[in-house]
Amino acid sequence: MNQERAKRWDNTKLSIRVFLANRTALVGLIIVLIYVADALIMQFDPGLLGITQVNTLVPNFTNPVPLPPSWAHPFGTTFPGVDLYTSILKAIRIDLFYSILVVAVGSVAGAVIGVISATVGGLLDETVMRITDIFFSIPYLILALAIGFILGRSLMYMSLALALVWWPLYARYTRSQTLSTKEFTYVEAARASGVSRTRIMFRHILPNALPPVFIQISLDLGSIMVIFSTLAFIGFIANAKVPELGYLTSLGLNYVQTAPWAVIFPGVAITVFALAVNLLGDGLRDVIDPRRRS
Amino acid sequence: MNLWAYTIRRLLLLIPTLLGLTLIVFILSHVSGNNVILAEYLSPKLTGAARAIATQALIARFHLNQPIYVQYFYWLNAILHGNWGYTNTAIYSGPVTTAIALFLPNTLMLSAVAAILIWIIGVRFGVYSAVNRDSVSDHALRVGSFTLYAMPIYLIGVALIIVLGVYLKVLPISGVVSPTMVSGLSWYVNGISYPTHIIIIDAMLHGAWGIALNAVIHLLLPAITLALAIVAGLIRILRSSMLEVLDQDYIRLARSKGLSERIVYNLHARKNALLPVITLFGLTVAGLLGGAVVVETIFNYPGIGYWTTQALLDSDVGGIMAATLLFGLILVVANLLVDLIYAFVDPRIRY
Repeated sequence: MNQERAKRWDNTKLSIRVFLANRTALVGLIIVLIYVADALIMQFDPGLLGITQVNTLVPNFTNPVPLPPSWAHPFGTTFPGVDLYTSILKAIRIDLFYSILVVAVGSVAGAVIGVISATVGGLLDETVMRITDIFFSIPYLILALAIGFILGRSLMYMSLALALVWWPLYARYTRSQTLSTKEFTYVEAARASGVSRTRIMFRHILPNALPPVFIQISLDLGSIMVIFSTLAFIGFIANAKVPELGYLTSLGLNYVQTAPWAVIFPGVAITVFALAVNLLGDGLRDVIDPRRRS
Repeated sequence: MNLWAYTIRRLLLLIPTLLGLTLIVFILSHVSGNNVILAEYLSPKLTGAARAIATQALIARFHLNQPIYVQYFYWLNAILHGNWGYTNTAIYSGPVTTAIALFLPNTLMLSAVAAILIWIIGVRFGVYSAVNRDSVSDHALRVGSFTLYAMPIYLIGVALIIVLGVYLKVLPISGVVSPTMVSGLSWYVNGISYPTHIIIIDAMLHGAWGIALNAVIHLLLPAITLALAIVAGLIRILRSSMLEVLDQDYIRLARSKGLSERIVYNLHARKNALLPVITLFGLTVAGLLGGAVVVETIFNYPGIGYWTTQALLDSDVGGIMAATLLFGLILVVANLLVDLIYAFVDPRIRY
């Protein structure tokens, strides 16, 4: 038993070493952690960064035209007189929360459907695959737009719409992972030694098939946040006071000729996050894939 | 299976996909009740008693008092007969089919130019990156495409506007043509050009070369934005596909025969490296259509995407539903073409 534990510890140490060897992945991890820390501070103690109204933008109608960066406004202001620095700090919490919601709802629904589809097989499997085909036949941005439009223009419905568009991708991925795990020799060995079907499924196949699926999914967080903000940018938010990065960018769009900072800072905030998640993902893939561990 | 049998099989598979597509759009239009169908088909110009009569006629025609699956077939029948309802937005009010005829040509033009740019930039840099593996320019290209890949498309557009439109002032940042150039023309009325509705082509048809050139310049920024948003993925995939091909035995053979590196790359390697890229074409079309919505909104470019966002802002059911259906149809056809081309190029697919 002790030996096994030592072996496992060795394995973990190797994983950490492989990950740390990839400098860019480490940078990605640090940036992601900074964003998460910001979201947590905003959630529990926004006063720490001198912010009072976490859920709304604070307009200043006496001076609505964007002002350049200064000591009072480190990132400048955007229309209508909204301070960009504090707004971006607030917006990160909202963007992160709803992106995680999209990934969570989409991946759980997709994974459950994918596993069932792969295990039951036959007509059900065929039907599920055709349904995912149909979902893939509409550009996701358009479909999310249509679903969100029908449900109502709010952040919650917007993320639900994205989850509805996203599950087919995860269902397919989970299905193919489950099917390929099923073919491994150790599963065959379990079957030969008379282990029941449900036990094989839950003890032997799923614990090995699901982790790569969920890691893959969490790496989509960056792209999801980008798409989420894109929907907000093209006018999905009906409430004019929501701190959201895409919406913040759109506020400054009419002033792009005189106040470029108003569109650059919120846009860069989202790009940096997406970039960090992608870098982190590359590092994690090295850790998971034994072939890349050399 | 020969190519014909494969084509027919693939065409038959199209039927359930199209039915599913229409079903999704139909279900969407029913999530919040029957009134959505009414909103879709009731002409916005009717008022008062005429409106009430038209409403009754629509209820009878679409059998709105019958179960929902019955309604679906009446609605599908209308769609198949080209009756897509009405749209009522700030930029256009009238039948959906007319709106599509007005806006779709512009989107097709934008997408076509973007697609050509993607192909030129993507193939060139993807192959270059693989051939000069681990050189400084390869690393620069990889960092560049990685960053582009993470950027939201609106930020790419805005960055280009700031650099090329505001600071360098070399390209116009909004619209399809300078308004002063087209005032008082007989073939350009209220922002709509005739007869093809693509101003570049119309200007050439009327021999107005100055206007055509001006329209081309206006098209550049939106097209470059759209291309840059999509090309990053192509460069990355082409690079790894090219590296894989360069590792093959027949490349080694070609080199050992003493062929020059240029011939090896251009004649032996590139064609095979492009094979997996064909499958990306469907994804590219989806990206172009989705990206067009954002790009057309930023640049006030009067295409289907601009109309869709207007429909969203003006709560116009007809526009949103029609756009979903139309974009879906285009993508379905694109995917069909991809499969057929792939089967044609790579015979292994058919079996």
